[in-house]
Amino acid sequence: MAEPIGSSCLAVNGLVTGYDARNVLTGVSLSLNSGELVTVVGPNGHGKTTLLRAISGLLPVRKGSVSLNGRAISGLPAHRVAANGVIHVPQGDLLFAGMSVLENLLMGAYLDSDQVAVARRLDEVFSLLPKLAERRTQIAASLSGGERRMVGIGRGLMMKGSVMLIDEPSLGLAPIVIEQIYDVIARLKASGRTILLVEENPARVADIADRIHLLDNGAFVWSGEPAVLLQRDELLATYLGG
Amino acid sequence: MKRQDFAHLMIGLVVLAAAVALPFYVDSRYVIGQVTLGLFYAIVASQWNLLFGFAGVFSLAQMALFGFGGYATAMLCFYFGMNVWAAMPLAAAATVLFSLVIGAACLRLSGAYTALLTLAVAQVMYLLIVTDTDCFIMVGTQCRQFTGGAVGFARFGDLGTRAMFKTKYLVANYALVVILFTATMLFTWAIIRGPIGLAFRALRDNPGCAMARGISRFQMQLLVFGLSAFFTGLAGGLYAAHFNAIGPGVLSFSQLFFIIAMVVVGGIGRLWGPLVGAIVLVAADEAMREIGEFRSLGLGVIIAAVMVLMPNGLIGLCENIWDRLRRLRTRSPALAAEVSGDTPA
Amino acid sequence: MDIIGPVLVSGMTTGALYALATLGLSLVWGSLGMLNMAHGTLLTLGGYAAFTAASQLGWPVPVAVLAAAAVGGLIGALIFMLVAYPLSRRNPETFETTIMIATFGVALTLENIVLRLYGGQPLGQPLTVGGSISLGRFVLPWQNLVIIIAAIALMAATALFLARTKAGRAIRATAQNPDAAKLLGVPVARVYLQVLILSGMLAGVCGVLVSSITQLSPSLGADPMLKAFIMCVVAGLGNLPGAIITSFALALVEALVQFLAGARWGFPALLAIVILVLIRRPGGLFGRVEMRRL
Repeated sequence: MAEPIGSSCLAVNGLVTGYDARNVLTGVSLSLNSGELVTVVGPNGHGKTTLLRAISGLLPVRKGSVSLNGRAISGLPAHRVAANGVIHVPQGDLLFAGMSVLENLLMGAYLDSDQVAVARRLDEVFSLLPKLAERRTQIAASLSGGERRMVGIGRGLMMKGSVMLIDEPSLGLAPIVIEQIYDVIARLKASGRTILLVEENPARVADIADRIHLLDNGAFVWSGEPAVLLQRDELLATYLGG
Repeated sequence: MKRQDFAHLMIGLVVLAAAVALPFYVDSRYVIGQVTLGLFYAIVASQWNLLFGFAGVFSLAQMALFGFGGYATAMLCFYFGMNVWAAMPLAAAATVLFSLVIGAACLRLSGAYTALLTLAVAQVMYLLIVTDTDCFIMVGTQCRQFTGGAVGFARFGDLGTRAMFKTKYLVANYALVVILFTATMLFTWAIIRGPIGLAFRALRDNPGCAMARGISRFQMQLLVFGLSAFFTGLAGGLYAAHFNAIGPGVLSFSQLFFIIAMVVVGGIGRLWGPLVGAIVLVAADEAMREIGEFRSLGLGVIIAAVMVLMPNGLIGLCENIWDRLRRLRTRSPALAAEVSGDTPA
Repeated sequence: MDIIGPVLVSGMTTGALYALATLGLSLVWGSLGMLNMAHGTLLTLGGYAAFTAASQLGWPVPVAVLAAAAVGGLIGALIFMLVAYPLSRRNPETFETTIMIATFGVALTLENIVLRLYGGQPLGQPLTVGGSISLGRFVLPWQNLVIIIAAIALMAATALFLARTKAGRAIRATAQNPDAAKLLGVPVARVYLQVLILSGMLAGVCGVLVSSITQLSPSLGADPMLKAFIMCVVAGLGNLPGAIITSFALALVEALVQFLAGARWGFPALLAIVILVLIRRPGGLFGRVEMRRL
């Protein structure tokens, strides 16, 4: 696991974190090269979301380190991590419910004072997610689940950053909407974005992931290519219930 | 008996012994008077602590209930010529009814709403009394308002201790307050250790499960609110009888927060917190008497600073130090065997 | 029919003052979940700051009003840095209640500092306007008109700031979802600081307006704060437009009751309305009851 710092875009080394007296992650290491899409799969409640929260500074890192483009970012408060270029699209969207779609998107560009660049990215987001352009003046609370997820992703795309953390984008959505969301993610990867994706079901990411880590009980129990994982029935049965 | 109960019992006996011993060693009427006053505060504070620290009710009507008990006692004596001893329990019962009305209106709401509404109730009560100028009856040539107005009631009857003990009556009154204090602490302890306390622990640790088993937070809180109002009202009555006077001053904002400050300084949710806080604050108040003008200022700084710097109060601070010492001791293996794992309350 | 005029004038004036006091209180509650018990004291400090600037230092009126805003904002900032921030870091679960107690301590301290500096006797606020306009039997003193216009202008400015500026948007975003705001790079602690400064400035100016129709005294802000609490509760804590509408409506009711039944029944009438409203709608008129998932 000793990859030299600097060769990878995001590097997590021996990360330990948790809530109160309990450690949820007991030493997780992973690395993402520029342009890669790496997925962490695993059953619910075993630390997938916790991993992303620790990387983006919402949870304090107890041991180990996180670095971005060679610079240590563990220990920084969340807003500084964001300023360093980590884009976190959180689970359950965490939209600003009382604001319009447009205002939610503009909040994504909070750190950017270059109005021209912001307007350009807004156009890009609207062309990638045309539904948002239609709904731009609608209040976020009144959107459907799929639209909310789109706003969450769009808001992340409004940020300038070198790595994107996406937390269970399929959670609670209808199959057809999940397909649309994964279509967007595939296009993001195609455009060269570096993405760390958390997902419950490895089959969904098989086509787009470069690597998969299987997280169970706070540690990675298997890492490798998605196609290999899907053939390992014993792993799927043990950790992912078939 | 659990270790913790045993500790509380021991502390209680020591406090009681000290309270009994006091008049034998201290002759000063002033000191006895101030200690008596401090005990009144401790009683009211202990009931507020029971509400806030254990039952999770942030009520700002505590002094309103105390005042209600005092006024009810005074008015029963004044208008109906009742004996003080008969009036006090009646007034305490009336306070319970009054509290249930307030509670029914305010306790369904969450934290800050409850606080604001109870504060408004207390403030309305204060304003209505202070601005009462309509003559209700004439006493001699003087006009008396129904609520006593801005002056309040005085000389409506006393506890009878003056006639019985002559100049020693202050000590007798002090003894009565000690008895009430003891009863209040026993009651508080019984609530915390009894089924009601169990229900609140359940509500705190697993609200979903507790509610599914039919424990209603609102009903439980209302129950504790009413029960604690009994002792608060009784203390108000005894207060009025002790001074043979009651006025709207007890309902003022600063009195209320003096009580809250005691709980905060002593330690919120600690059985002995209010007593410790009352002793410390009354003593600090005495010490600041020298710099009279700065008393309230000092009190304000104490409340804010304690809240920020030691949110668990003096008792919490002692627990921390005790814990640390114990951990130091546990590290040396020879002593480790003596220490059994039980955390203090 | 002669009571309509006076009730309207008095109701609209106090309504404007309550609304301004409520706005600051509600802003802080909506963002930080903090009930600032020292809000009334910020009003008092503003009133005294303007008094000092205008009559003791001889500064012109606009500068005196700015001084009031500056003092309010400064104390607001100190309350955040010295009290609210450390308290929220140490124990977020009990913050809702501990902050009320702690800010009351602050209020007690500040009020006594004012008492020491200026004495307890009421002082006249020099920033007053004489005269009145009469429209038939309808008499509107200039002072009341100035108060109503100033309060509405301040509320409009605050609303514009919150709605149209980037800093205002960040304040609203943080209030709605602090974690999401952090992930987008918003320094949440600094936003909270801005909210307390803004609320303090509004309170400072509000104090000048209140003292211009009453008198300066160390307890100047106590009554408007208590009323502002009531307005907040009726409207639903943290709801700004609702709080303003409620303030005007309840102030009119209060004025009417005071004219019909006597001054002392105004506040009890308000309390009765609050309790009735909350029995029907526990989250306030405009508030939503939070569904708590277990």
